[in-house]
Amino acid sequence: MARMKFICDAERCIECNGCTTACKSEHEVPWGVNRRRLVTVNDGLPGERSISVACMHCTDAPCMAVCPVDCFYRTEEQIVLHDKDLCIGCGYCYYACPFGAPQFPQAGAFGLRGKMDKCTYCAGGPEENFSAEEFRKYGRNRIAEGKLPACAEMCSTKALLAGDAPVIAKIYKTRVATRGKGEQLWGWAMAYKGSDKVSDNLGAGA
Amino acid sequence: MRTLFAAVAAAGLLAACHEIPQDAAKPYAGKEDVKPYAGDLFKGDRQKFEQALAQRADHENEYLRTGDAKK
Repeated sequence: MARMKFICDAERCIECNGCTTACKSEHEVPWGVNRRRLVTVNDGLPGERSISVACMHCTDAPCMAVCPVDCFYRTEEQIVLHDKDLCIGCGYCYYACPFGAPQFPQAGAFGLRGKMDKCTYCAGGPEENFSAEEFRKYGRNRIAEGKLPACAEMCSTKALLAGDAPVIAKIYKTRVATRGKGEQLWGWAMAYKGSDKVSDNLGAGA
Repeated sequence: MRTLFAAVAAAGLLAACHEIPQDAAKPYAGKEDVKPYAGDLFKGDRQKFEQALAQRADHENEYLRTGDAKK
């Protein structure tokens, strides 16, 4: 049984916002709602790192535990989804989520909140697959098409990985073992997997 | 008597040290979702569906895609 997860490789993320744009475009997410966003630490300083954050589809999802109307469910692929027809927009899930994933569209004046919206892992929701209603409420259902989330598939550096947990963990592990750490992460040798030119290998040999 | 007292005290002190299930088994009150592999594309074949997803996930591994994994 698949256990779908995201991993964001902070060493590879170049803060291009391709994932957030792909998500917005794929699901026609309304203004003010960000199902996926980029978080950058040490912006503009050496050691700057960016990470793409959305719902992480937790195994022990806190949003699920605190929801007063029990509108969350988990699919066979372990994707955490919710029923918008049941959601009352109370915001408990927002306080429970460690990633700030639940989003609330402004539904009226004076900060009135609408129903919660979050990353669906491009798996739609509890409506008929590929129906107009599913798209309106939850966005496109790429999973039912046998595709992975748009954000990960669009990622230019493949920093954002999506898929079955053991598969993507293996990919990430291979990367870390191949690229090394510290100084080895910089320069030509890291970018192009080494070169025969002595000038390119001066840094690697030091 | 002393052993018995020690055993009772130890049981009392360690009472909070067990693992409590974090994910309370709460019922889902909403609509039933259709299985993603139920449509015309996979015709209910879950294995084929999971294979399609695994193939996509493998495509994210450029060491495989470029053939560098063999080197």
